Amino acid sequence: MKKIISIVLILTMAFSLVLTGCTKKEDEKKKLRIFNAGEYIDKSLLTEFEKAYGCEIIYETFDSNESMYTKIRSGETYDILVPSDYMIERLIKEDYLAEIDWEQIPNKKYLQEHLLGQDYDPEDKYCVPYYYGSVGILYNKKVIDKEDLADGWELLRNTKYAGNIYMYDSERDSFMIACKALGYSMNTIKEKEIKKAYKWLVKQRDTMDPVYVTDDVIDNMISGNKSLAVVYSGDGALIISENDDMDFFEPEQGTNLWTDCMVMTKDCKNQELAMEFMNFMCDPDNAYLNTQYIGYSSAVKPAFEMIRDDDYKGIKAFVPRIHFDKDEVFRYQTNKTRKIYSKLWTKVKAY
Amino acid sequence: MKHYRSMISPYVLWAFGFIIIPFIMIMVYAFTDGGLSLTDAGFSLDSFAEMTDSLYFTVFTRSFSTGILTTLLCLFIGYPMAFFITKFDERVQGTLILITTIPMWINLLLRTYAWIGILSDNGLLNSFLKMLGIGPVSIMYTGIAVNIGLVCNFLPFMILPIHTSLSKMDPSLLEAAYDLGANKVQAFTRVIFKYSIPGVLNGVIITFLMAISAFVIPKMLGGGQFTLLGNLIENQFISVGNWNFGAAVSLILAIVILAAISFLKRIDPDGTV
Repeated sequence: MKKIISIVLILTMAFSLVLTGCTKKEDEKKKLRIFNAGEYIDKSLLTEFEKAYGCEIIYETFDSNESMYTKIRSGETYDILVPSDYMIERLIKEDYLAEIDWEQIPNKKYLQEHLLGQDYDPEDKYCVPYYYGSVGILYNKKVIDKEDLADGWELLRNTKYAGNIYMYDSERDSFMIACKALGYSMNTIKEKEIKKAYKWLVKQRDTMDPVYVTDDVIDNMISGNKSLAVVYSGDGALIISENDDMDFFEPEQGTNLWTDCMVMTKDCKNQELAMEFMNFMCDPDNAYLNTQYIGYSSAVKPAFEMIRDDDYKGIKAFVPRIHFDKDEVFRYQTNKTRKIYSKLWTKVKAY
Repeated sequence: MKHYRSMISPYVLWAFGFIIIPFIMIMVYAFTDGGLSLTDAGFSLDSFAEMTDSLYFTVFTRSFSTGILTTLLCLFIGYPMAFFITKFDERVQGTLILITTIPMWINLLLRTYAWIGILSDNGLLNSFLKMLGIGPVSIMYTGIAVNIGLVCNFLPFMILPIHTSLSKMDPSLLEAAYDLGANKVQAFTRVIFKYSIPGVLNGVIITFLMAISAFVIPKMLGGGQFTLLGNLIENQFISVGNWNFGAAVSLILAIVILAAISFLKRIDPDGTV
């Protein structure tokens, strides 16, 4: 019996040696580490890219820009990140990003022009736009009076609909709503205005009894659990395509226009491969497949137009409002401002 | 005995690496003010000063009442179950214990998602009530939903230690009690329950510990407005990036838990916990 055990042991050891030999060879394969938001890519495209370029993709996901930032600050390294505008600005300011060589991304010509040259990256040095959208209100046409829609964001404080509302559990978007409703800039740094916005949110919480959700808003609104919800335009499009009773609008007081971009970090060892990947994702056919899967508004014009006129025909939420002067893009916040906001947001939720 | 001492060393290393060092890190973060970094941080009591806000007191009390309620519910459901399991033949008992642990084979997130499907406004429960002609009830995103989720997840941790204590009891003790004229209630309170106290205490401590620091279940079933200590800490670390405040809250929580455990340990007459 002992003999058998020792033979088995020797065999396993020998086998594991062979295996380590194998993995060493694998190591020579080029690697690309991508850190993206959850449910934000058609994974078959990753496999296709791996095959076409003989590399291995290590794909990880995060659930918010902030948690992504915490992870890279605690020492994780990635080649490509897909953060939003204000987070990109922060990463640029803190010197995390490497510049992009557009020569290697010929598919740039397909990108929607209004997404380039934005304030957070005016010279297009770092960002390859990926998806964009706005924030708006999703409502049940059978329950919400048409006239009430004119109230814009104040609709979220109309006590007729108390207990019938989902807010999005995001510090910046919630303060954006309060600021816009009060007629301030959503990037305000005036403490007085921030305090007033905080009071707006507290009053809403006390009178409306909202539930603060994140991605679960999608399932909840598809099954029509409540009649009002704050959603990203792309999520709105997806919900409307599944539930005809719902519709989407962007309030006249202005909203948040966001853009998520692919960026390359300074840790990236194989920059050419990273840019090859970005170019691959900007290819109209790939972007079309990707957009069909995600349902957000693609930065790649032909893909966006194809889906707008076909899969999501007639769904307003798929075509976010652009060039409206009251809409804004989130900007970088200093540590001090961020602390004020986050403390107040913790207070709004934890009463 | 001496040569056994060297065999402990892996565990000492383990405890040092995964318990003591992290705990020291929490202390350091709690008493400094550098945010995510330690390099440009100085000593500060700001985080503790911030906690004096009455708001955080509300979070503390909500967490404790949720924790206590969950523990009591687990005890009242789990004790009879453990008790009846001991009434079966030993082989059947093994199977029954196995069955109580089956939920633990399934990932916690999946189990919680299942509860969402059952409890949500248009979910299974409400469609069932509709069939009976009872109006829809809104349970999802309330404290009730959170408690249901917590009890369902932690019940096995209450049943197992109680069952262990009860099954160790010598049945002749019970026979002696009856021979000496005890009725069923007396036999239970004076013999059976007394023997199960170590198991009960163990179960109570484990369930309470897990319930008070839970954050996934309250987040999924309670929504963002049902903030417990676990959510507060998670938020500070993951999204707000104020690790100092998060560490300070964790530290206070750890101290309170230690105090609660030492208090519970005192109840046990034999000190077997």
